[in-house]
Amino acid sequence: MDTTTKAIATPGRFISFLNWLRSDLRAALSLGYLLLLVIVSVAAPLIATHSPIAQTPDYLAPADATYLLGTDDLGRDVFSRVIYGTPMSLIASFTAVGVGLAIGLPFGMMAGYMGGWVDIVISRVIDTLLSFPGIVLAVAVTGALGIGLTNAMIAVGIVFAPNIARLIRIQTIVVKNQLYVDAARSFGMPVHRIILRHVVPNAIQPVIVQVTVMLAGALLAEASLSFLGLGVQPPWPSWGQMLARGYTYMEIAPEQMYVPGIAILLTALAYNGLGESLRARLDPTRRAGR
Amino acid sequence: MQNQFLRFLLWRMVQFLPVVAMATLTIFSLIQLVPGDPAATIAGEYATAENIEAIRHSLGLDRPLWEQYGIWLWNAAQGDLSNSLLSGLPVMDEVLRRLPSTLTIAVLALCIAVIVGVPLGVLAATRADTMLDRLVTGIASLGVAVPNFWLGMILVSIFALGFGWFPTTGARPISEDFWGALHHAALPAATLATGGIAEIARQLRSSLIEVLQSQYVRTLRAKGLPNYLILWKHGLRNAALTLLTVIGLVFNHMLGATVATEAVFAISGTGSMIVNAAINKDFPVVQGAVFVLVLIVIVMNLIIDLFYSLLDPRVKKG
Amino acid sequence: MNKQEHPIIQAENVTVRFPVGRRKTLTAVDNVSISVRRGETFGLIGESGSGKSTLGRAIVCLERPTKGTVLHSGQDLHTLPRAAMRRHRQQYQIIFQDPAAALDPRMTILRSVREPLDVEGKSSLAERNARALEMMGKVGLGPAFAGLYPHQLSGGQKQRACIARVLTLQPSLIVCDEAVAALDVSIQAEILNLLADLQQEFGLTYLFITHNIGVVEHISDTVAVMYLGQIIEIAPADRLAEHYLHPYTEALLSAEPVALPTAMRPDRRILLKGELPSPMDPPSGCRFRTRCRHATELCAAQAPGLRELAPGHLTACHHAETFREKTAAYEGVS
Repeated sequence: MDTTTKAIATPGRFISFLNWLRSDLRAALSLGYLLLLVIVSVAAPLIATHSPIAQTPDYLAPADATYLLGTDDLGRDVFSRVIYGTPMSLIASFTAVGVGLAIGLPFGMMAGYMGGWVDIVISRVIDTLLSFPGIVLAVAVTGALGIGLTNAMIAVGIVFAPNIARLIRIQTIVVKNQLYVDAARSFGMPVHRIILRHVVPNAIQPVIVQVTVMLAGALLAEASLSFLGLGVQPPWPSWGQMLARGYTYMEIAPEQMYVPGIAILLTALAYNGLGESLRARLDPTRRAGR
Repeated sequence: MQNQFLRFLLWRMVQFLPVVAMATLTIFSLIQLVPGDPAATIAGEYATAENIEAIRHSLGLDRPLWEQYGIWLWNAAQGDLSNSLLSGLPVMDEVLRRLPSTLTIAVLALCIAVIVGVPLGVLAATRADTMLDRLVTGIASLGVAVPNFWLGMILVSIFALGFGWFPTTGARPISEDFWGALHHAALPAATLATGGIAEIARQLRSSLIEVLQSQYVRTLRAKGLPNYLILWKHGLRNAALTLLTVIGLVFNHMLGATVATEAVFAISGTGSMIVNAAINKDFPVVQGAVFVLVLIVIVMNLIIDLFYSLLDPRVKKG
Repeated sequence: MNKQEHPIIQAENVTVRFPVGRRKTLTAVDNVSISVRRGETFGLIGESGSGKSTLGRAIVCLERPTKGTVLHSGQDLHTLPRAAMRRHRQQYQIIFQDPAAALDPRMTILRSVREPLDVEGKSSLAERNARALEMMGKVGLGPAFAGLYPHQLSGGQKQRACIARVLTLQPSLIVCDEAVAALDVSIQAEILNLLADLQQEFGLTYLFITHNIGVVEHISDTVAVMYLGQIIEIAPADRLAEHYLHPYTEALLSAEPVALPTAMRPDRRILLKGELPSPMDPPSGCRFRTRCRHATELCAAQAPGLRELAPGHLTACHHAETFREKTAAYEGVS
């Protein structure tokens, strides 16, 4: 973008972004909470009161001034483990969605733009993968790749990819048939530049909404897989894995399964809330009056 | 008429064949994802070269890829999903033994989701933008965002440990003890159902609102047609199509979520089977169990397609 | 032969088909030949569905003919290597009916107008911006429009931006595909005048596609009439109004609004019977026969070819020489 247009466009966008947050409480709260999680993730060593992996003889201690949320069955500080679990969850959800985008976007765009047999083959593969129960496929892929957080998130990304591909395919078909693409062709613009200049910017918007909602799905999937022992490996904490441990001594210390669960719930709510608000904001039918 | 329907049924089944073929190919290729030498990985750290070779041979990994796939497919078509690496028992027998517990909770959950979700969706749509609508929408948002297994844990702590109304864990075979099986399946099914309730209520609400706010329905209302008649005649026909689509998606999700739910309630179904096999690198079991679950989803989609064509004649030709 | 001696566009037996669903095809353009001379304005008239837009798109290489060739100054661009084809096609530009759809909603007007220059990539960004602003000036869009987005402009302003955009390439031919049809009547005249001025200044050749015979008559040198994918009459524009030789042209001319009070209008409006037949399943013989009041058995049995009845005046009607007498007879009766 050249300097003159940028100078006009940028402050306008920033101000309208602020106005949006002011008018949409859900969006503001969701964004605020997610921002808080990012800060907690970065500043985890400063916030945590103990080492998240150091074992002490104080097994299953109740919450007090020293152990803000008590200790687990190995005497580890639950509060510090929740704090250190935050970056795990954030990184996990972004990795999964990133992998999903990296696979889904090019294939979906290829199917949509090229059409013909390429489209037929890719669409068939998408249909097939969508008929796999999501988490089951993720478990199977994790098993094949080897257990661990990164592999589990790659698996979740693979499971998400067909959803993204399907969405971007439809959008690409819509954009490909727009007159401004015909115009660009008549200017002699090569296909790859048409895709970068026109197709990607116009087709990506609904995907952004979808991606935000998928972050929630990825977070829940990470929690499930870690709960099942396929994700984050001990001694490092993740919210899902803490729930798995907490469940085994639930009858002695039931309060310990609330905080990680609520953390997961709130984060998923924030992703979904942001997605819903973005959807409403980007909905062309609502923009008609502008 | 009947002839036409049969032909349609046949055509749809033919259309599903490529999906089944592609699904088997996907499941078969899972083992290709194993980094390095799959035989060595499966054999474990302390395996001798002979052990590895034996495993390679018994899994057919020493043959060309297409031949491996052909053999796997041929055997699967005959109901032979090969044997577990750990127990040496046929995978098919184990899957069939465990499948009823999984299907019991999944089907029960689907019923709960429909029975609770549909009225909630209709209620919210007909009272759009009231407190009640907001309450339903809010609960639905919670239902989508809540980690399933965590909800299961809370249900156990309240209704099993607290009140003692339900057993904490385990399952009964439904063929032997129907009420006992339902009693055991109640909490896991309720756990599974939450996501479904939320999804059904949300989708039904928005599809109904779309119909009720259409120009066409507004005209009917202006003509003085009573609201309940409009809702019944025009709203629910459209909603039924939405509902069918959502049910397909929800059932797919539920089958997936059984993986974690079965762990919470210590149910030995196919979900826990896949998890254990994945952890132990027992690939024939993973492949076989996933294959059976995918087959169930595909058949479910076929059934939904048939209902769809009965409700909406336009779909038939497509 | 010298490049200048070739017609700028020579379409030879062009047929364009589209697949429609399973095993069905739609023949949008059926065996059409036209020749556009350098510097002239060639009018192409037809109802929607006549294939006139598809022919226009084929001429700027947005559709590839299923059969036949389009020669640009004697050269078939589809036979060239890709890069050469992309370079050559810049000479042949198109302005669309809907300017709102022809501009990328996410790009500023300046960036849109500059786009063809970005494709060339020959000059610096500053030079390209200057050139784009210059062309915007030519079409009456001041620098204030540069930073705006399409949705902030009126229909006429958007169409001006589209015109400026194609002008940056200094094309030799512009296809105007219903370029004013979507605009308010008052704006239509402005844009038409602008196009006429630009033709003077840059020596442009126009292929003017429209459903409005009134527009075409006044600005064209040659006029071709299309019906269901075929050209049924071609004539010098100044001949057509009085010496038309096809019943369809007659019907089109009679439907043209006349600037006279109702009482003074000659009541000779010819209403066409029925709907335009589907181009997927055209009638046998003469395609117009299902709606033609002069149709005979000959018309159903045999498709009339184009015949040259006067210098530069071709028509595809079996009864070209006689139908006007019959029309006069009908009017005498009524």
